[in-house]
Amino acid sequence: MSGVRLGNGVTWIHECFPEVNGHLHVSVYLIETPRGHILIDSGSFYHRDSLADRINHATRGRGIGALILSHSDYPHSGNIPSFRTEWGDFDIVASCADPEIQGLPYARRVRIGETVDVLDRPFTILDPPLADRSHTTWVFDEESSVLFVADGFGTLHKSGECHAAWGELPIEGRGNGVADFHEQTLPWVRYADPDRLMDSLRAIFDRHAASWVAPIHGPPIAARDLGVYLDNLDHAVRSISRK
Amino acid sequence: MKPFHREVLPGIHMIQECGGHRAGIAKTVLAKQVSWYSEGVELHVPQNAYLLVGDRTFLFDTLSPAASNVILRGLDEVLGNRPLDYLALSHPDVPHAGNTAPILRKYPKCQLVAPRSGETHALYHLDEAIKVGPDDELDLGGLLLRFPEAKFLDSAVHTWMTEETTKTLFTVDWMGFPHLGGECLACVDELDVEICVSRLEEFHSRVMFWFQYVDPGKVQEATNALALAFDGYGIAPAHGLPIRRNAAPFYAMMNEVVERVSNTGRGGVL
Repeated sequence: MSGVRLGNGVTWIHECFPEVNGHLHVSVYLIETPRGHILIDSGSFYHRDSLADRINHATRGRGIGALILSHSDYPHSGNIPSFRTEWGDFDIVASCADPEIQGLPYARRVRIGETVDVLDRPFTILDPPLADRSHTTWVFDEESSVLFVADGFGTLHKSGECHAAWGELPIEGRGNGVADFHEQTLPWVRYADPDRLMDSLRAIFDRHAASWVAPIHGPPIAARDLGVYLDNLDHAVRSISRK
Repeated sequence: MKPFHREVLPGIHMIQECGGHRAGIAKTVLAKQVSWYSEGVELHVPQNAYLLVGDRTFLFDTLSPAASNVILRGLDEVLGNRPLDYLALSHPDVPHAGNTAPILRKYPKCQLVAPRSGETHALYHLDEAIKVGPDDELDLGGLLLRFPEAKFLDSAVHTWMTEETTKTLFTVDWMGFPHLGGECLACVDELDVEICVSRLEEFHSRVMFWFQYVDPGKVQEATNALALAFDGYGIAPAHGLPIRRNAAPFYAMMNEVVERVSNTGRGGVL
């Protein structure tokens, strides 16, 4: 299958990686615009062939015209060189780090707080509270109100649940999936002040009313489910930081 | 090419990528009127790789892709005709691991060494690497390596390292700090000035951005435990100048750094 449509031209194209406690999504998102397709992240080389096939299918062979990178960690940037070979020199918006040090000398660097046009579609670059690399950015699509996030807001899921949005996951175990993901992916959370961290996260949603939160490492979270997710995340952060 | 490597301790060579002038940090510290920086002076935040040469040879981190020529030339100049026996990655972050492929092509018999912690090794081409953790030792013949847990880390696949004959702790990314244009390749004990809290703050407020979300007491407790565990050790940071002597004050300064960043928030980006 090509992916799961979230609306307003946004499609979730997900792949999975098996871990001890469940499956980890390593996803990309495809945005269709009148000027072409934008890819959020490039995924891992681990899923390269499948991703390329699915993106080709979704774009009817045209490929992408631009890519917005959350950060240059290999599960996110690993396919950029091969995708450039496949689809040409598309525009790459490469988070807030020095592109050369991140191995992307041809990329366009963005600044936290700015709104950038990618294929005539505006995206606002946000400072991410829940991230692993310091140059990570979260990206808010002003047209669809989808907030693309990495690495936070993930959830480990079970085999067979790979295609479900977060609100469709069985309630039992869902909270554990949120907790296990954050404990193993963001080890600094062990030092967190839960109130401070959660306040900063909730403030983002006060400023940006997201139709979906679209994580790279978890199923998308619809607006109607965000409150419950944040409650699960709050519980997870408190639990991790107490250990 | 200006000098970019030197032997900082017996058998331990630092290969340094200084990168360009960090104009953003310079602007910030000028506005703060810090005592250690004057306008017009270059300000660098280095990437350091450490090449350990005993009976066997070992490289800790690879510098960034922007410095491929630096690391390969540095290996040539230090090793000569000797092979590189081990390449270890502190963590698979591009500025630290980005030259893995060219190094392994240059030294095809080199063993790749990766942190044991974490579960996503296959996503980083590390599934076939030798895994090391706190219970492991690697004897290079004349140099003895251990791999303590990285207490302050970006992600799960991450390790620090010690060399036991010189009593050196290799930290990544923690304990980084900018240096001035005239301080490249220096060790802290060779500087005319002391490294102050402000320098450490400028680095950590950008790189350890998550300090703004922590309970400072928890971080300080962990820092104090580190100071105790590595009492008498020098520190060879990935992003700072080597601290060969008297590292104790640096742990105390880091306690103040986390307090400051917790109060003032993120300093920006590198």
